[in-house]
Amino acid sequence: MSRTLAESSGTGAAEADLEACFHCGEPVPHGSALTAEIGGRPRPMCCAGCRAVATMIGASGLDSYYRFRDALPSRPDVPDAAGRFEAWDRDAVLDWHGRDAGDGRLDVTLVLENVHCAACAWLVRRFLTDHAGVADARLDIADGRLRLVFEPHRAPLSRLAAGLAGLGYPPHLDAPGADAERDRNERRRMLRYLAVAGLGMMQVMTYAIANYLGAWQGMDAATEQFFKVVSMLVAVPVALYAGQPFYRSALEALARRRAGMDLPIAAALLIALSASVLITLFGHGEVYFDSVVMFLFFLLLGRFAVLTARQRAGALGTALARALPAQARRRTAEGAESVGIVELRPGDRVLVSAGDIVPADGTVRDGRARLDEALMTGEAAPRPRAVGDAVLAGSVVASGQLEIEIAATGRETALAGIVDLLDPARRRRPGITRLADRMAGVFIGVVLVATAVAAAAWWSVDPGRVVPVMLAMLVAACPCALALGTPTALASAARGLARAGLLTVEPDALEVLPRVTRVVFDKTGTLTRREFTVDEVIASAGRASGEILAIAAALERHSTHPLAAAFRIHDTGLEASGVEVHELGVAGTVDGRNWCIGRADWVGQRLGIEAGGAGAASRIVLADRGGELHAIGVSAGMRRGADALVARLREAGIGVTLASGDHEGPVAEMAGRLGIDDVHARMRPADKLALVESLRARGEIVAVVGDGVNDAPVLAGADVSVAMADGAPLAGTQADLVCVGTSLDAVIEAFAHAPRVRSVIRQNLGWALAYNVSVLPLAALGWVPPWAAAIGMSASSLAVVLNARRLAGAERR
Amino acid sequence: MNIVYVLVPLSLVLLAIAIAAFFWAVRNDQFEDLDTPALDILDDDEDRTVDERRSARSGESGP
Repeated sequence: MSRTLAESSGTGAAEADLEACFHCGEPVPHGSALTAEIGGRPRPMCCAGCRAVATMIGASGLDSYYRFRDALPSRPDVPDAAGRFEAWDRDAVLDWHGRDAGDGRLDVTLVLENVHCAACAWLVRRFLTDHAGVADARLDIADGRLRLVFEPHRAPLSRLAAGLAGLGYPPHLDAPGADAERDRNERRRMLRYLAVAGLGMMQVMTYAIANYLGAWQGMDAATEQFFKVVSMLVAVPVALYAGQPFYRSALEALARRRAGMDLPIAAALLIALSASVLITLFGHGEVYFDSVVMFLFFLLLGRFAVLTARQRAGALGTALARALPAQARRRTAEGAESVGIVELRPGDRVLVSAGDIVPADGTVRDGRARLDEALMTGEAAPRPRAVGDAVLAGSVVASGQLEIEIAATGRETALAGIVDLLDPARRRRPGITRLADRMAGVFIGVVLVATAVAAAAWWSVDPGRVVPVMLAMLVAACPCALALGTPTALASAARGLARAGLLTVEPDALEVLPRVTRVVFDKTGTLTRREFTVDEVIASAGRASGEILAIAAALERHSTHPLAAAFRIHDTGLEASGVEVHELGVAGTVDGRNWCIGRADWVGQRLGIEAGGAGAASRIVLADRGGELHAIGVSAGMRRGADALVARLREAGIGVTLASGDHEGPVAEMAGRLGIDDVHARMRPADKLALVESLRARGEIVAVVGDGVNDAPVLAGADVSVAMADGAPLAGTQADLVCVGTSLDAVIEAFAHAPRVRSVIRQNLGWALAYNVSVLPLAALGWVPPWAAAIGMSASSLAVVLNARRLAGAERR
Repeated sequence: MNIVYVLVPLSLVLLAIAIAAFFWAVRNDQFEDLDTPALDILDDDEDRTVDERRSARSGESGP
């Protein structure tokens, strides 16, 4: 996901002496000479993946992308798109995923990875619409959904998809269903409410100002009445139309006999509206149409922000689609064919090889392979699988080949089973009552009681003034500042955190964060890095380490072993010939010398040398017959910031728990390195959820940090949840906060700033409450003229908004 | 002040037109993509296809 330019320029002075990759901004490794021509000049590239993407962008004449973008892309994998999407042209796939759009056109929704900013959307749209046969392409940068209208026979979907993958946006077919359509309709409906309320507000406000000035300068009664009637004609339909979300949810709350948050809002809107109508038609006195419509507009603004954030978190079906591959190889009588995932049926045999994702649950019928199930189970090391073993959809084949007989597909898989845990977990999530709700409840109670008392008092003094005074009190108490206090503070804080690399999906989480008493971490992929990296090179015979890594990369490029990926960023384009790939290593010729790289004993045996040496057993060995022998240390190390984060939490007196699906050994080792005492290994998704629930039963407020599919249920069930953006998309859909980039520093930032967010919210609510409560007695005595109420209301709202802005400004780095 | 009785109804008509225009815009997806149109205008050779750009580039000499 995206890192902002501001953030990357601020990271680590240690990296300052390194040149930055023109495409992704990561430092270019020493000795790398990769470039790509952009804008007529060769630009430095950090790896083959970036070069491939940048070259494609440049060759398509779309280099404006580099001028437009305001966020850096993540480093792309080397695109090997050819043939990966061929099944997407099959009729069965197009029928299932597409909708007929007339004129032989088809409407298909794709989900793209790595979409960050407007420039991405521009690049994707221009790239697609430049193809003959593509009628329309709209990419929503919020959730990465691409709506594509095209003619399948002129622009085959497989070709478009391969092109997108080449640009660095691997596409997935979205699960068909009403999700996207429903989201869009909901968004449109909210937009219409918002527009009507906004335009109506401005209109009613002009009439109201005429009346305020009239009261000041003298206006004849007929004109005043005219403005009141016109205000009513605008305000009544506007409030009835645009207030629908509140009336509907209030009615639902009533039907279920539960007092919802919207009930007092709906009541306040309707009471103020109908009282103003009565005054306009039958009485004389102040009307508050402007306040009603303005209040409504601000409420809708908040609702709209929440709606878009929620939709951005993405639909479950979409996340599931992203966990499974684009197509599968099905065994047929003649050999194998590429088919869409939707065509697979239990009993079918599919073939998977290294790098593939297993498309469905099943049993191995042929072959051997190592399967990486880290996202599914949390187990870090790939596990061997042979004939008769069960395999799970979503696992990645690390090495080897398998023929699998399918037992379950789609909704029947274990993967979907984990998804089924999510809903109940969400529902059992405790309703942490928000500060604003509690205060609003108290406040509304106070206002209603005070209004009743004042009305009773005026009844005995001057019955004619009962209604105007009641209204004055209700409107003076118009909780505009109260309503704005929390959302503006949370929005500012979310902006500040986004700069630090933490996206806020559920703004309420920022309010809960400072009260957290325990943080539960996942291990694999959360505290550890997902990918292996080279951490040391022990050279002999005077070769530079850059040279050694370049040779290693040239050989390992041909290997699909998980460790081989560690060398990808050291690839300088050096070529190896006569390459032989074995299970334990790779042999080949580079620059005229015969090299072997792999496990020490294998290399030693093959070359007939003693490759053991000190510490070589735990490292990868690169050797040749001429006596050169180098050792390279590769590990999936700790994620940057993990130790600092744990230390900071302990310092702050927050409990730390490690809960992993991995075996005791590696889990205990990681816990030892970080100094975590509360350790749980071999946790299944349901176990993790149970653990968090038992912690909560002890009265703790629990934050969960995780990344995998197996973490999704516990993320859904925690008080606050943080997902790693480079983890499973499914985890991202369940998290309140998403940590982008490769370090945990942003989470430290979040915990450090959470108390300030809370204090600003308290200040805002305190101020709003103090203002409203102090105006209330004046209104009760009938001393507040409408113009003063209007100025006071605007000023108090402004103060709240400005106070909230401090949160966004202070967190700039 | 009689002009008010003309201008205010006129403003109501304008309000109705504004709301109708906004509804039309929402229905026609004008609010679906608020990000890329701002960039389109900065792009010089908007009407050329990928192939035309490729050939244009290969014809270029130097920067």
